[in-house]
Amino acid sequence: MGKKKMMATGIVATKRKGSFGAYIRRYWQLYLLLLLPVVYFVVFKYVPMEYIQIAFKKYKLGITVWEMPLAKNDGFEWFIKAFKNPKFWLSVRNTVVLNLLDLTFGFPAPIIFAIILNELRFSRLKKVTQTIAYMPHFLSWVIIYSVSLALFADNDGMINQVLGTKIPFFSDPTHWIVSYIAIGVWQNFGWGSIIYLAAIAGINPELYEAAMVDGAGRLQRIWHVTLPGIRSTIVVLLIMNLGNILGSGFDRPFAFQNNLVLDVAEVLSTYVYKAGIKSLQLELTTAVGLFQSVICLFFLLGSNWLSRKLGERGIF
Amino acid sequence: MRRFLAMLLAALMVISLAACNPVNPTDKPTDKATDKATDAPTEAQTEDDAEGSYINGMYYFKETREITVEVFDRNVDNGTPANDNKFTDWIKAGVLRDHNIKVEFVAVPRWTETDEINNLLAAGDAPDICYTYSYPTILQYASQDGVIDLAELVEDKEMFPNLWSWLKESNIYWDKSVTDGSLYALEGRRANSNRIVTFIRQDWLDALKLDVPTTKAEFEACLVAFRDNAATLLGENADKMVPYSVSYDVGWRAGTLIESFIDPDITDKEFYINGFDDRKYTENGTKEAIRLLNKWYNMGLLWDDFALYGPGDTTEDDMMKAGYVGALTHNWDYVFRNGEDSINYQLTINVGENAKFVPCDPFEDANGTHQKFVDSGAGDRKAFLPYTNEEPIASLLYLDWISTASNILYLQTGEEGVNHIKGDDGSYKIISALGTEWAQNSGQNIDLTMTCNGLNLGDANITALSTAYSYPNNDPALVAAADAIAKTDTIPAKNVKVATIESENGMGEVLKTARDEGFDKSVVCAVADFDKTWDQYMASYLAQGGQDIIDERTVAWEAVYSGDSLQ
Repeated sequence: MGKKKMMATGIVATKRKGSFGAYIRRYWQLYLLLLLPVVYFVVFKYVPMEYIQIAFKKYKLGITVWEMPLAKNDGFEWFIKAFKNPKFWLSVRNTVVLNLLDLTFGFPAPIIFAIILNELRFSRLKKVTQTIAYMPHFLSWVIIYSVSLALFADNDGMINQVLGTKIPFFSDPTHWIVSYIAIGVWQNFGWGSIIYLAAIAGINPELYEAAMVDGAGRLQRIWHVTLPGIRSTIVVLLIMNLGNILGSGFDRPFAFQNNLVLDVAEVLSTYVYKAGIKSLQLELTTAVGLFQSVICLFFLLGSNWLSRKLGERGIF
Repeated sequence: MRRFLAMLLAALMVISLAACNPVNPTDKPTDKATDKATDAPTEAQTEDDAEGSYINGMYYFKETREITVEVFDRNVDNGTPANDNKFTDWIKAGVLRDHNIKVEFVAVPRWTETDEINNLLAAGDAPDICYTYSYPTILQYASQDGVIDLAELVEDKEMFPNLWSWLKESNIYWDKSVTDGSLYALEGRRANSNRIVTFIRQDWLDALKLDVPTTKAEFEACLVAFRDNAATLLGENADKMVPYSVSYDVGWRAGTLIESFIDPDITDKEFYINGFDDRKYTENGTKEAIRLLNKWYNMGLLWDDFALYGPGDTTEDDMMKAGYVGALTHNWDYVFRNGEDSINYQLTINVGENAKFVPCDPFEDANGTHQKFVDSGAGDRKAFLPYTNEEPIASLLYLDWISTASNILYLQTGEEGVNHIKGDDGSYKIISALGTEWAQNSGQNIDLTMTCNGLNLGDANITALSTAYSYPNNDPALVAAADAIAKTDTIPAKNVKVATIESENGMGEVLKTARDEGFDKSVVCAVADFDKTWDQYMASYLAQGGQDIIDERTVAWEAVYSGDSLQ
């Protein structure tokens, strides 16, 4: 693993020979800088892994997780309970469908936006547009939902009032999915474009000049210079997104769901909240969370493997 | 079992002390508590012991004990800090004076109290005395060894005289298990068992020359008249008209309508085995009630967007205050609550002097009466002691103190001239002290009188008189009328004593979600699709665990009772 990583990330390692101590002495400032994130990951990501075993135990208050007795069915009671529950599979389906839709519409949006911004010549307009597009990212989903209700509610919403219609934006499952995805894209495309703008800024301007000399038009320059220039960034982000195909944020679906659309709106994170956390069934919560993580890991590794097969670098 | 629990608690104590606290060798509260419990029946009742002595009939500790007590934080506008105000100071001083117990209050947000207590329990930081509304939740904690068994501790009637005289055997033994005798919570007394009443706009009825409805048919006729005369009643706001307002929580907000469809001769057994859901989702008759609502929805009599607004949202209240709503069904005192911010008072400001909601009783049952299934004196708030409690005796003494009649009276009525004015008839007229240091953060300080929910002033007549006066800025006659309707044709809940239903563990939230989904979908579907929709979501509810509960309840009932009736 370590060796592979070195090969993938740089050539320094293969050229220089020397002990670990020598590196520490030479680059101690960099290692010091690294220390803080490492401590963060150990304390907040690795130490808590001890509690994964709750998924296989009968939870008891007041004793350590090591002392808790094993759950029924050799510890698999909670997995069986979850897998037997129709609501669980419904949540899995909804999570995957909503995430795929988010990926289909939400993933290209920031790329397109970044390219459009990049083509703008008038830099003040560019900056203003950029800032306005970022803003929704800083609103909480609860606020976005209340604003959306004022705009889109079937009866009292502004849009329906003005048009004199009763489009069920939030109360009909199909309409709800469209609203949910569209608002999600709107909230995120500005923020998501930052990383692509940075990648575009890193493209050597000589390439554009050479293309112009060769008579390439604007669209051709985008197609043959800009897009290939940010291809590796796109692939890395795509892999990370695919790795999260079964994961989901909590606030967005929770804020947007209502009883009329629960059939399509209940996702794993909200199911876990209701069945596990609110009912103090921490075992069920942990079991579902573990299941989610394992599936996500497979997706992550799978897409990484695929991208390397296709000649891209992947993320590890 | 008890010995095991005692040992477990002792072991827990040692572990937790060793883990986080400097060990104080003179202080072994858990041992003392268990000793006390086992010795209590044999010891001479009024004899002093090593820990303390009786002074004026009240047990007084030699060394000061310290406990923490939960109090709801309702985040009241113009209120005071929930855990630090004039009334909590008064309690602290009193308990220290009478029992030598030092009390600290811990504020817990009212609307997320269960989540909060879950977290506090898991973290080992729960207050020494907690309270909540759901016994299945407490049983869930107990199954995780999170609650102290009170069965023996509470038996010392000499030490806890006020607890026994106020809660009585009925409440104290309400939750005692028939299988192992365990008792994990003490049922507070519900001083007022009123539940749900329907309100209708008197000024609209007057404008359309209609009488207050007394049957479903008349009620429907009123709603239709409201809808058809929206332009007359609301002018340019006609399109905002909602003849009958129901929220996402259909089971509560059409509660008396649902109850009117239940067979008046329903057996105790049938009522019990379907009784897990407190909105009567699986009871026989509920489907027909929702069919009627579905018809009204499709006639344009309900609020189109009702399902889009979740708990805590004030959109619907604002519509009522603005005068767009014709009728509603809710808590019996809903339109009178919160003084200047109450719905009825706001109506007079926003619409006019004559605008008001009046209580009515329009949903007749099969017998022509207006049956309402109400709670008994128990089944409301329950106090329990979490596993981290090191002072169970002191905690029970606190509950005893807070159950003392004179203390309840003072907390509920407050200071004369500040919180109330005494009438010539002996009644108390409550005045709002919000904005001052004497503000009551909950109506009649019910969050502080942990074992008493609702007004109780000791004397039944004075309580009844005072109830009508306990809603500032509202007409006492209307409050009295709503109170009377809430008490008409009531059927109090009965206490079914069967084994613990294991399949109920942890299912509350999942089934509540499934039930609300089923209710809401069935209200808004097309009339032709009603049966299909209802059956589909009912099947889903049963598959998610509802059926297991019904089956287990049936078996548990049949193991204890021979017939279909409790008698």
